[in-house]
Amino acid sequence: MRKYLYLFILIFGLTGCEDVIEVDLETEPPRLTVDAIIRLDTSESLTTAQIKVGLSSSFFEQNQIVQVEEMMIQNLDYQPTSPLDQNFVMFTETQPGVYEGSKNTGFFTSGELSLTIRYNDALFLATTTFAPGAPFDSVTQGENTLFSGEEIEVVVAFTDNGDRENFYIFDFDFNEFLVSEDEFYQGERFIFSYFYDDLEAGDTINISILGANESFFNYMNQLIVQSGGSQGPFQTPAGTVRGNIINTTGMDNAPITDSEERATNFALGYFAVVQEFKQQLTIE
Amino acid sequence: MKQATLVPSLLFLFFSIHSFSQQKYTLSGIITEESSNETLIGVTVAFPSLGTGVVTNEYGFYSITLPEGEYELLVSYLGFQEVVNTINLNANTKIDFKLEEAAEQLEEVVVTQNVERMDIRKPQMSVNSLSVETIKKIPVILGEADIIKSILLLPGVTNAGEGASGFNVRGGSVDQNLILLDEAIIFNSSHLFGFFSVFNPDAIKDIKLYKGGIPARYGGRVASVLDIFQKEGNSREYKINGGIGAVASRLLVEGPIKKDKAAFLIAGRASYAHLFLPLFDLDNTAYFYDLNTKLNYKLNDRNSIFLSGYFGRDVFGISDSFVNTYGNAVGNFRWNHLFSDKLFSNLSLIYSDYYYGLKLDFVGFNWNSGIKNFNLKYDLKHYLNDRLQVNYGINNVYYQFNPGKIEPSNDTSGIVEDQLTQKYANEFAAYVDLEHRVTDNLSLSYGLRFSNFMRLGQEELNVYENNSPVDFDPLLLIYQEADPIDVINPGRGGSLATFNNFEPRLSMAYTLNENSSVKASYTRLAQYLHLLSNTNSPTPLDVWTPSGPFIKPQLLDQYAFGYFKNIAGGTYSFETEVFYKDVQNRIDYIDGANLIANDAIEQVILNGEARAYGLEILFRKNEGKFQGWLAYTLSKSEQRTPGRAPFEANGQGNLETGINFGEWYNTPYDKPHDISLFASYELNKKWSINSNFVYQTGQPTNFPVGQFDFQGLTVPYFGLRNEQRLPDYNRIDISATLTPTKNKTRKMQGEWVFSIYNLYNRRNAASINFRRNQDTGVNEAVRTSIFGIVPAVTYNFKF
Repeated sequence: MRKYLYLFILIFGLTGCEDVIEVDLETEPPRLTVDAIIRLDTSESLTTAQIKVGLSSSFFEQNQIVQVEEMMIQNLDYQPTSPLDQNFVMFTETQPGVYEGSKNTGFFTSGELSLTIRYNDALFLATTTFAPGAPFDSVTQGENTLFSGEEIEVVVAFTDNGDRENFYIFDFDFNEFLVSEDEFYQGERFIFSYFYDDLEAGDTINISILGANESFFNYMNQLIVQSGGSQGPFQTPAGTVRGNIINTTGMDNAPITDSEERATNFALGYFAVVQEFKQQLTIE
Repeated sequence: MKQATLVPSLLFLFFSIHSFSQQKYTLSGIITEESSNETLIGVTVAFPSLGTGVVTNEYGFYSITLPEGEYELLVSYLGFQEVVNTINLNANTKIDFKLEEAAEQLEEVVVTQNVERMDIRKPQMSVNSLSVETIKKIPVILGEADIIKSILLLPGVTNAGEGASGFNVRGGSVDQNLILLDEAIIFNSSHLFGFFSVFNPDAIKDIKLYKGGIPARYGGRVASVLDIFQKEGNSREYKINGGIGAVASRLLVEGPIKKDKAAFLIAGRASYAHLFLPLFDLDNTAYFYDLNTKLNYKLNDRNSIFLSGYFGRDVFGISDSFVNTYGNAVGNFRWNHLFSDKLFSNLSLIYSDYYYGLKLDFVGFNWNSGIKNFNLKYDLKHYLNDRLQVNYGINNVYYQFNPGKIEPSNDTSGIVEDQLTQKYANEFAAYVDLEHRVTDNLSLSYGLRFSNFMRLGQEELNVYENNSPVDFDPLLLIYQEADPIDVINPGRGGSLATFNNFEPRLSMAYTLNENSSVKASYTRLAQYLHLLSNTNSPTPLDVWTPSGPFIKPQLLDQYAFGYFKNIAGGTYSFETEVFYKDVQNRIDYIDGANLIANDAIEQVILNGEARAYGLEILFRKNEGKFQGWLAYTLSKSEQRTPGRAPFEANGQGNLETGINFGEWYNTPYDKPHDISLFASYELNKKWSINSNFVYQTGQPTNFPVGQFDFQGLTVPYFGLRNEQRLPDYNRIDISATLTPTKNKTRKMQGEWVFSIYNLYNRRNAASINFRRNQDTGVNEAVRTSIFGIVPAVTYNFKF
């Protein structure tokens, strides 16, 4: 809900002018970036999870691909299904910067999952648990428009699970995301509209609804705002959006951890395991 | 009645300087404008032979007690003809002066030596007054004269730029300004997100901006007081004036209900640019309107009552599916009563309602939030003698805060009705304030304000472990919202937190010679209400939050020192001041804090401190065909939010990072250099030309130190807060006013104002955003600027 308030304030924000300009930027040394959002289709018994790694760079440069020495996900609560089965899955590089690992879906859906990555003698760790979602009730095309009169409206309906506090992330294709929490529609069927700018009749769009825990919800919320471009006068002061990937190198040994040092030596990105429901729609 | 005379009598005895061997009498009265009976604020009644005098108060009343004798007196006020009179003071006398407007006001203003000395003597410092005439001359965007835009030209005052609401005084934030309209507190001073202010210049009589040396009768905000008084209404004849402009128009009608006794004033403004939008096939609306209504009734020589109302709304809509409405509504009843010719009192009863509503039909909800308050003020001014005036009074405000209520807007909506917990508070203050001319060269203004704030009980209150609503994650090294361990129901009675503060105030002026003086002041202020906003400039969605168990009041100490000089008999004047202020309990937000619709603000804020210091210089030319001023401010405004104490977690000691590792960092409104130049030239009887030039250092902002890819998004990431700056802001505006000569003889008078805003079309950056270009896939920095060159024509009329 808050996202809508942001979105619509920024549209109003201004009809000011936008120009591309030159800006001198300071840079930091590149950091490891990890895109480890594992989307599960719980109707499949086997899941192939994909994790992308890279290096950050200065804003105007291209990001580089990187290789890591080791990557695995461990689940200490997992009960192996056979004598050869183990409570972890190793990831191997299938394309530059892309690592894959396969295991039965049950490994991912319960217990605490830990992702460890060894890179350049540093050890990174992230933990998460499976976040269930809710299926779409319907995804249909509407007839309303928003600001310019040329938008395509897509009406989304789904029913929230009233037993728990839920957070949802919508992937509207074309790298457009929306986040929502069930604070105001707990247990109810919730319907809302999303407007696309540049679609034509005949285009096909793939929309997903992902479950999320609160921490991933907060992360995506800030990311969307920060990568979304012009927000007019209502810009929130930017801060580095910290994901959940910690640099644990040497941590066991330090009696008092030097916050400043560790606060500046972190990896970017997020590790989450979420339930996904997909829907496809062709625009008329 | 006895109480009221007992206290001043004691004070009188205590501060007595002379032993009187001579009989003393009081001369008092009300000074008004001849043509309208409008009371005049700040008129000087001077006695040159005694080197003393008095100034009329906010209701036009003056009172001075002198020894028996024959005196020449001089009544003067800028823009009006001087009155010179001789009186034989041998009894308590009442004289109501009626002043006539000076015909050729720019050329013939005569500022006598004696009156000048009075100004330099007054211990008031860090105060700027602007007349409505000057405000109307200052060229502004789209030709709409604007009070807030005009005060930006004064030293020490800046704002976040075009499209930004509010203003910053001496490195203070926008929520630290006390804005009063006829004694009523105004919470949001702008329409259309900052493009226009809520004050209709036609209805305004007088404005004063106190940047420091704030007298004890004001309190509640730590950076400044903008005290605005509106006209009461012409009780002699009917008058209409108005203006038609490119974006908005205004109309004011005033006149007598009972000649010389009672009058009314109604003024309205509305914008209509949105009516053109359908031409572009856009089904959107964006407009504002406001209405000022006043009634005044002079019951008798000792009693007058005033009833006023203000109602303003901004409406934005996108088709019908998104409609946003917000604005202030204020109702105000005042009663002036003269207990004697030395004791003046004013009682105000004020009700104010700030409303914000949002209708998002395509998500299926209506949202509304706001703040209501009920205010009682009783102020007394006791004009003891020509050397001592004592002001005292009480002020009580009861607040009700509605952080938000959401309800479904149609039957199919899945939204469940919910009311965020309403908050209640009461703010009480009592003050005594003395204006004391100790010797011929030394004047003091000193006082004490006692303020008490009670955060009253409410329906639900979160309880946190260790009373700490913000958690620090020692592994991720970030601050996070803490989940409450319990929600209790304290109920409406009782108080959740109480704060008491003594706020001493002291100003002094010492005249070095006829033309120059030095002044110094110390001010302590407490602020109990905070506007939580983590955007560069506040949005109407930002919520005013009262102090309470998790948020402490802001406490300020300000020291200022200044030098004032009149040159060439007052043709020029030069003022310079240095100031230093520090504020305890200044809040800042954790990274990624979401404040909109946040029921538990305490989970995203950290406590810190702020300070600001600087030098202001103002050089003015006050007379002649060419007038104006040059203002320069050099200042620094910064804050510090350290981590809380080290703590144990996971068997290890940890240090919190705080914000920017506990170092001092720029506040979002730190502007080291601020230059404003206003110039006005009266070419001839028909034409006058005005222009202004503004230069400000760019606002602090955050540029990314890198970027990474995530789920197909290009995400910039940032370093320390507020370290970089936007490009410097500067522009020149000019305007030319044409007053046709035929005018003077006609009943209806009009003038044309041609203006150009931002003459050299500089694209001043309102913000710079970093994103990936959707078409080319290349990362770019995009500057958003609001106005380029904007010409406008306005027609103003009156009859």
